[in-house]
Amino acid sequence: MNTKILENEFEYSKPGSLEEVLETLATKQNVRIFAGGTDLIVKLKLGALPDMEHMLDINGVEELGKIETRADGLEIFAGAKLWSIESDRRVEENYPALREAIQAMASISVRNMATLGGNFCNASPVADAVGPVMCYGGKVRMQSKRGAREVNAVDFFLAPGVSVLEKGELLTSVYLPAPKAHTGHAFVKMGRVKSDIAKISITAVLEREGDRIASCRLAMGSVAARPLFLKAIGEGLAGKAMTEALAQETAQNISDFIKPIGDNRTTAEYRTDVAKVIARDALVSAWKNSGGTL
Amino acid sequence: MSMHPITLKVNGKPHTLLVKSNELLVNVLRDKLFLTGTKYGCGIAECGACTIMKDKRSIMSCLVPAVVADGWEITTSEGLSKGDKLSPVQEAFVDLAAIQCGFCTPGMVVTATALLHENPNPDEDFIRDYLRGNFCRCTGYVAMSKAVLAAAAKMKEEAQ
Amino acid sequence: MNQMNESVIGKNIPRSDGHAKVTGTMVYPSDVIIPGMMYGAVLRSPHPHAEIVSVDTSEAERMGAVCLTYADINPIMYNERSVSIPAATYRDRTVLPSKARHFGEPLMAVAADTEELAHKAVKAIKIEYKVLEAVYDPDEAMKEGAPQLYENIYLGDNKLTVKNNIGVVRNIDEGDCAGGFARADRIFEHTFDLERIYHNQLETKCAVCKPEPDGSLTVWATAQSIHANRQLLARILNMPLSKLNVVRLPFGGAFGSSIQVNTVTPICACLALKAGRPVKLTSAREEDFYSHQKYPARFTVKMGVTNDGVITAAHVKALIDFGAHQVQPLPFMGCTAGWFASLYKYDGNIRFDGTAVYTNKTPCCAMQGYGNPQINFAIESMIDIICEEMRFSAVDFRLKNYRGIGDEFWGQGPTIRSIIKSCGVEQSLVEGRKMTDFENRQRPEDRTGDIRRGLGLARGFHTSGTAGPKEGEVIDYSSALIKINEDGSVDLVTPVTDHGGGTWDALKKITAETLQVPFDMVGLAPAATTNTGYDVCTHATRGVYCGGAAVYHVAMKVKERLLEYAGRLMAEHAYNLEVARRDELGQGVVQVKHFPSKFMTIGDIAKQAQIMSWGTIAYTDSYRQRNCPPCFTTHFVEVEIDTRTGVITVPKVLIFGDCGVALNPDLVKGQLIGSFNRGFGYTVFETMPLNEKTGELMNKGLLTDYKTPTSAEMPKIEDVEVILCDTYEPSGPYGAKGIGEAALASVQAAIANAVYNAVGIRFYKLPITPEVLLAALKKKEQEAAK
Repeated sequence: MNTKILENEFEYSKPGSLEEVLETLATKQNVRIFAGGTDLIVKLKLGALPDMEHMLDINGVEELGKIETRADGLEIFAGAKLWSIESDRRVEENYPALREAIQAMASISVRNMATLGGNFCNASPVADAVGPVMCYGGKVRMQSKRGAREVNAVDFFLAPGVSVLEKGELLTSVYLPAPKAHTGHAFVKMGRVKSDIAKISITAVLEREGDRIASCRLAMGSVAARPLFLKAIGEGLAGKAMTEALAQETAQNISDFIKPIGDNRTTAEYRTDVAKVIARDALVSAWKNSGGTL
Repeated sequence: MSMHPITLKVNGKPHTLLVKSNELLVNVLRDKLFLTGTKYGCGIAECGACTIMKDKRSIMSCLVPAVVADGWEITTSEGLSKGDKLSPVQEAFVDLAAIQCGFCTPGMVVTATALLHENPNPDEDFIRDYLRGNFCRCTGYVAMSKAVLAAAAKMKEEAQ
Repeated sequence: MNQMNESVIGKNIPRSDGHAKVTGTMVYPSDVIIPGMMYGAVLRSPHPHAEIVSVDTSEAERMGAVCLTYADINPIMYNERSVSIPAATYRDRTVLPSKARHFGEPLMAVAADTEELAHKAVKAIKIEYKVLEAVYDPDEAMKEGAPQLYENIYLGDNKLTVKNNIGVVRNIDEGDCAGGFARADRIFEHTFDLERIYHNQLETKCAVCKPEPDGSLTVWATAQSIHANRQLLARILNMPLSKLNVVRLPFGGAFGSSIQVNTVTPICACLALKAGRPVKLTSAREEDFYSHQKYPARFTVKMGVTNDGVITAAHVKALIDFGAHQVQPLPFMGCTAGWFASLYKYDGNIRFDGTAVYTNKTPCCAMQGYGNPQINFAIESMIDIICEEMRFSAVDFRLKNYRGIGDEFWGQGPTIRSIIKSCGVEQSLVEGRKMTDFENRQRPEDRTGDIRRGLGLARGFHTSGTAGPKEGEVIDYSSALIKINEDGSVDLVTPVTDHGGGTWDALKKITAETLQVPFDMVGLAPAATTNTGYDVCTHATRGVYCGGAAVYHVAMKVKERLLEYAGRLMAEHAYNLEVARRDELGQGVVQVKHFPSKFMTIGDIAKQAQIMSWGTIAYTDSYRQRNCPPCFTTHFVEVEIDTRTGVITVPKVLIFGDCGVALNPDLVKGQLIGSFNRGFGYTVFETMPLNEKTGELMNKGLLTDYKTPTSAEMPKIEDVEVILCDTYEPSGPYGAKGIGEAALASVQAAIANAVYNAVGIRFYKLPITPEVLLAALKKKEQEAAK
């Protein structure tokens, strides 16, 4: 570990096209992608990547920095800086939980560097921006010399630091489908201070039909070995009339369901305890901003 | 280990340098260009002492390999003033006693300058949130918030 | 004194070093770059307790590195901290040890042409360790059969045997405690626990050492005292003092962590001498965490109180786990006893039993208060407990029992005492009570709802300097050189360092006011050990009070000479002349008393003195203060607690500071607000658990897992009010005392007392993190349900 200098020695390249990036990924050994560097360089400093031989900078590929409107949604490319996502009008209007999650991350200077692609590839169970993407039904698009593929964001993560991304494969974009009308969104995070890795976080995205929940998707950060999509609990809310009691009952179910561990940021007990607080708050808040009343 | 020629425009002045791929921008600024206003504090973007400005946005130079910065135009604390004339942010920091030991100050004024580029009319909540990644062990941040508000007012006055 | 121009004393003048600091052009130790310099790196112990069996540096040397091991150094034993007299100084360490006693302890060092090569060379050193069992808990460490850190250490010149890891025992007994307790109607006894925290000064400790062609060594280092560095380095390196020049520099915060000579500084000096080239050694943050930490403490406090609200006796038992080396827990415990003894009168019945214990952890040192924030938390929590349980007014009880004007104050433990001559306690308590409507605050049991507010109060103080009428265990004097230049400007040469609180500007103001020259005409000269007299250290809140007193003393002597020369030139008796500021002339003048139209500018007088070959109007001397006046603070803190999550926020704080005359009020307020931020961190956020298997910090020395309240957690501008008391310290320069450490003393207890007022739970241990608070709330709820 050395936070002052990089002790690793490595090659560096910055191709100008996606093809060249994929070519490099296919042919070089022990390649790591540099997009924003806020995870990569920290890992190098902490000695977590002793084998890295090549740093592949994707910032030379213009299209990878874009945020594009698609007929049925929004495509955020891997190199787009968090700052450009949080300040994007389309994100503000249609995916406010993602915006809030990004704004809750680290500090503005880090967000000016870091990328959404990086937040996914780092595959941390704590990643703030992942929950909203899962709850909006987002997909992760990947490409390699072998071709392109897409997986649901909820299926992207396998274990701490491990995703479905294969050797030679580049995460090219995160795709968000267009939200339906009467959608409510909430992202709630607890940290030690505002600029912090989450002790725990939750995203709630629901669609309202009158006084009922038409559908609901819930995801949590920092309570399991990977970002946790609460599929059954979310689906169980469909068709139910929203009440304070339902919010509390659901929150209690979530708290009972999760099996968090303790770490440097907080204890397992605290995570379990406040899960029901933030889950309740997220459900109520999402309901209210979908236009619902309690 | 690859060596790379890079060009870097710092505070309006172009530099051509030969860097190793593992050299960090913060160290190049300090040790090769002698711009020691950009500080090492934590090395992992937790303290903001190494903050510089690129495209009017603040970034932390401790996580930037210098080779990545090839072709960049950046501003450091040394480049905010014009000759002896301090920028409104710098002046407000001095006048409103927003400085103690001063080690966080260069990074802080760079971030505050970026803040006012982004939002020339910030309220205190905006300022408090924007500065949350710049660590100061001395001042308690209150005087800094005052200074940024004062600088915003002054810049508005000057623009009129 | 001067009708024409407003005095600089008490006026807010933008700080002189502000321009350099906002433009990033101020040179701190880590900014020093010497052509041809090498970079140092330190090999740190991966074990908490281990003997070094063998070392092989050959590969590192083949890489071109200069290696430094125990075999290379002068094995002289010393203490890094040298503000105490030698007879009261424990010595247990060498530049590099032959045995590691804590994780992260420097064991070897290298210097190489690049930082990268230096770190690679460190990795190439092969060491064989004999790993020993470690002990982290002070109670465990004192047991028979516990791993022993030392066999022998020294106190002064006496060799001592260490038994059961007990480093220092310090007991103080005054008055008649047994009698006092017997007279009490109620006896209170509680135990308070304070964890280690880390200074987290933003600039990590750094040294640059340059061997000079004449055989001398120039040193630029993070240092609160340049002379302490010089003297210790001379001993270690066996060099005459005249060959060691330590340069005074600003530093990026210290908070007490550089009162002692930093561990890296002698290492860097030895490397430079071995290499015969300049060497720069900068600690990485993850190394700095293992350099020094704040003393933890466990206090058992017993107090006797009568029904009419008089404390009749107090007894404190202290257990201090100071880590692997002594950075003077002896005076630390003496001072802690002093802060305890000086807060209230206790009818004169005081007992303190202190034990300080070695453990396999990072050595502890002063951190803003030298035991004061620790013991203040215990005592001021205790006062709150007494007032709650006996239904006393928290303000009136304090007013009845506090030590104020005419009472004795222990400025630096039992051996340094003086009589209090200025005191803002009453003003603070009475005004604060009114402003916060304190007596009408809701009681905890009346507060309901998920979000609860609470209002708490605590008072504290610190000494200004370490000098009493009688010399004691601590050295205290300062020096200055002042000269008037031939254009009326003035050079001030001082060895005093400035933490950033504005000490240098205060010294300039004292010079300007005494000689009646415009503030801008006083220049702060670069200074180093070879061209300044001794100053012990900018510690103990003594920069303005003691350093300033020396400046005042020397400025008065300079004025004497100035008036004498002016008298000759103006054909007047010197006693009939006075200095006066004439800003329209851009400088000061000497004028005839009551006849200001007859004057000469100071520049003309100096110029004439030069033309006549009378000499430079200058003077240098040392000066010792004979008092250690307390500077007082009082904190009224409002907290807001989310009882669902245990999160504590501070919506409002009212701070009273009594620093005598504030030379620069904005800077004093800045210190008080900054201290509130650190106290908030100490009380609610900061914790650094240890991995007991490895002795390593759980956060591995990274700021990622060492959180302090940021700009986003601090109360807003209009919710932070600071009031400076209207006091005048007769023994201080222009009525000034200090403020630096006092500013922190009472923050912790005020927050904890506010937490009690919000939720009715008393916390005896810091920090009160959300996890701790939520668990306590749950426990209380469960107990209520039974």
